[in-house]
Amino acid sequence: MPTITIDGKSIEVEKGTTLLAAAQKLGIYIPRYCYHPKLSISGNCRMCLVEVEKAPKLLTACSTEAAEGMVVRTTSDKVKAARRDVLEYLLINHPLDCPICDQAGECGLQDYYMDYSLARSRFSMADKVRREKRRPIGPNLVLDNERCILCTRCVRFCSEVTKTSELEVMNRGDHSYIDLKEGKALDNGYSLNIADICPVGAFTSRDFRFKQRVWFLKRTKTVCLGCATGCLVEAHHNENVIYRLVPDPNPETNTWLCDHGRLTYKALQAGDRLKKGVIKNGLIELEPALREAATRIDEARGAVAVMGSPWLSIEDNAALARLARDSVKTGDYCFDFNFEQGIKDGILINKDQAPNTAGVRPVKAAYGGISMGELAGRIASGKIKLLLTEARAAALLKDALKDSGTRVVVFAANRGEIPAGAYATLPYAAYFETPGTFINYQGLRRRTTPPVAAPEGVKPLWDVVNKLASYSGASLGLDSGDDALKGISF
Amino acid sequence: MISVKKVNNKPLNLLERIYLYEIARGIAVTTRHFFANLFNPKGLPTIQYPEQPVPLYGNARFRSRHRLKVRSDGSPKCVACFMCQTACPAYCIHIEAAEYQENSVEKYPAVFNIDLARCVMCGMCVEACPEDAIAMDTEEIPGGAADRTEFLMTKESLLRNRPGEPSLKGAANRLANEYLGSRGEQ
Repeated sequence: MPTITIDGKSIEVEKGTTLLAAAQKLGIYIPRYCYHPKLSISGNCRMCLVEVEKAPKLLTACSTEAAEGMVVRTTSDKVKAARRDVLEYLLINHPLDCPICDQAGECGLQDYYMDYSLARSRFSMADKVRREKRRPIGPNLVLDNERCILCTRCVRFCSEVTKTSELEVMNRGDHSYIDLKEGKALDNGYSLNIADICPVGAFTSRDFRFKQRVWFLKRTKTVCLGCATGCLVEAHHNENVIYRLVPDPNPETNTWLCDHGRLTYKALQAGDRLKKGVIKNGLIELEPALREAATRIDEARGAVAVMGSPWLSIEDNAALARLARDSVKTGDYCFDFNFEQGIKDGILINKDQAPNTAGVRPVKAAYGGISMGELAGRIASGKIKLLLTEARAAALLKDALKDSGTRVVVFAANRGEIPAGAYATLPYAAYFETPGTFINYQGLRRRTTPPVAAPEGVKPLWDVVNKLASYSGASLGLDSGDDALKGISF
Repeated sequence: MISVKKVNNKPLNLLERIYLYEIARGIAVTTRHFFANLFNPKGLPTIQYPEQPVPLYGNARFRSRHRLKVRSDGSPKCVACFMCQTACPAYCIHIEAAEYQENSVEKYPAVFNIDLARCVMCGMCVEACPEDAIAMDTEEIPGGAADRTEFLMTKESLLRNRPGEPSLKGAANRLANEYLGSRGEQ
C-alpha cells in the first residue's frame, strides 16, 4: 500500500492505483481526454501530465502507478505550461466549427481551453490539416474527422466493450484519422455511447443532431425501462420535451446505455401517442371512453378477468389488483409473470424485454391470483367475457384470445401497442411522465422521476383505475401512487 | 432651514375678472391654428408615425430593426448556433435548426423568429453572433401595430442585405466560403 503526496496532501492507495485515480480520490481534478475509467489506458493525449519529484520529465497521471513516497505536483508552473502547450497542439488542426457543432457546450476542448489555456492561436486557418467533414457512420452516428483529436476512446470502446472492433486509426502521424475497418459497419447495439465518450465533436448522435443546444437542456436522473436491466439514466429535456437519454454511470448496473434504451423516449413524442381513449378504432374523449369501459365491465360482471403487466410500475399493478379484488370482485386476476432474466449479450441488454417482471412478484404475493396458464385456459374456454389489462401484456395472451370472443379493454400509451381486436383502449401517463417504482433483474428497487408532464388530461394508470372503479360504484381510495403501494412489501 | 420663495402674483384686472373676454381670446388662438393647419397641412410639425417613417439623422448608427444577412447564393449567413437566442435577455428569439444535405455549411435556421414586441433593442444578439449574420442597421424603428402577430418577424421578413452591401461571402465561415467558391460565386 504505497503512500503518495499529491499537491501537499497525502493518501494511501492500493498497489496499482494510477496517479489520476489517486488524485480523484483526493478531489484533485487532472484534465484528460483519452483516459476513461472503464476503458484501457492509452496515454496518448498527454493532457494529464503531472510533475513527479525526481522524475526527469513530466509523467502522464493516467498511466503512472503510484509508488511509495512519490511527491506529485499538479499545479506547478511546469505542469501549467505543459497543459497549455498540449492544448495548443491539439487545437492546431481543430476547425472552428463550434457554431455548427453539437458538442459545443459540453466539449472537452472548449472547457479545457477556458480552464488551462486561453492562449491565442499562432497558426493560420489556411495551414490547418484538412480532413473529411460530416459523414453518417452507422445508423446512429455522424463522424467528422476534422474535429477528431485521436484520443482513440471510440476505438477502445469498440474493441473492449462491444468487442466488435469496427473502428481503427488509419494511417500514421499527421495523416492519421479514425475510420471504419473494411467491411464493417458501426451498428453494434451500443454505438451511441461513442458519441458520449468522444470528448470533442467528432462523433455526434444522428438522433440528437441539431435538435437542441446542450446548454438549454435540463437534467433529470431517472431509470431506463427498455428491458429488465433497469439502467440508471439521465434524461435531458427542455420545455417539456425529452431530447436524449444518457447513462448515469453507477457501479451496480451500468456505465453505458444501449441504443435501444436511449431511443425509448421517442415513444413519448411519436405520432401515435394516445391522448384520448379509443373505442374500436375511433378516438373519443377520455371521460366517455372511461364510462364506456366501466359500463362494459359492469355488463360482464362475474366473467371479467384482470391481468397485471410487467411493463407497468408496482403502483399501477397494485391498483389493477385492487380494482380486481374490490371493484370488479373477481377471482380471475393474474399477476404471474415468469420471464427468463439475465444479461443476454454480456453487456447490458436483458433477456427479459419487460422492465418490471421482478416488481410484479410482490404484488402477486400480496394479492394472490391465478397463474397465466389458468387465465389463458379460462379465456380459451370462453368463460371470460372481458379482459382488462395493459396492451403489451395482452399480447402475451394472443393465442388464447383468438376466437374466444373475449372483449379486450387495454391501457396503452401508444397506438402501436394496442393489440388487434381490442375493444377499448384507455391512455395513461408513460414512464417519463409519472413517477413509478420498478424492480430490475438484480432485485434493485428503482424509482423513476418524471422529466416531463403527460399530455393534458392523461393521468397515471392508478388514477385511471381509480376512476374506472368509481364509475362502477366502488371506491378504491387511491389519491396517489403511494396509496396503491399500501400492503405490499418489497 | 426651509427656503421660502415669496411669489408676488399680480391681482387680476377687470377684463380678466369678467372671464368671458379671456375665453374668447383663447378660442381665437385655437381657431387660428385650426384654419392655418387645415389649409396648410404641410406646416404641421406632427409626424404620422408609424405610417410615416422618420428619417434618421445623418450617419446615425442607431440600433434599429434586425435583419439577417444573406450569402451570395441567397442562403442565410446564419448557421443556427443559438448564440443570439442564448444572449437575448428578453427571450424574443426563437430558432429551429435544420441540416443542409448538400451544402457543406451543414446547419441553417429552418425557423428564425424575432418577436419585436418583446425585443428590448439591446443589440446583444448582434454582439453574440459569431458569423456576423444578424445586424440591427435597417434604420427602421419598429412602430405600433394593431395586432401582436404583426410584431413577429420571421426568417423570410428578416432576410435581406442592404443595397450595395459589399462582400456577400460567408465572412468568418470557412465552410461557407469554400462552398460558395466551389459553386463559382464571388
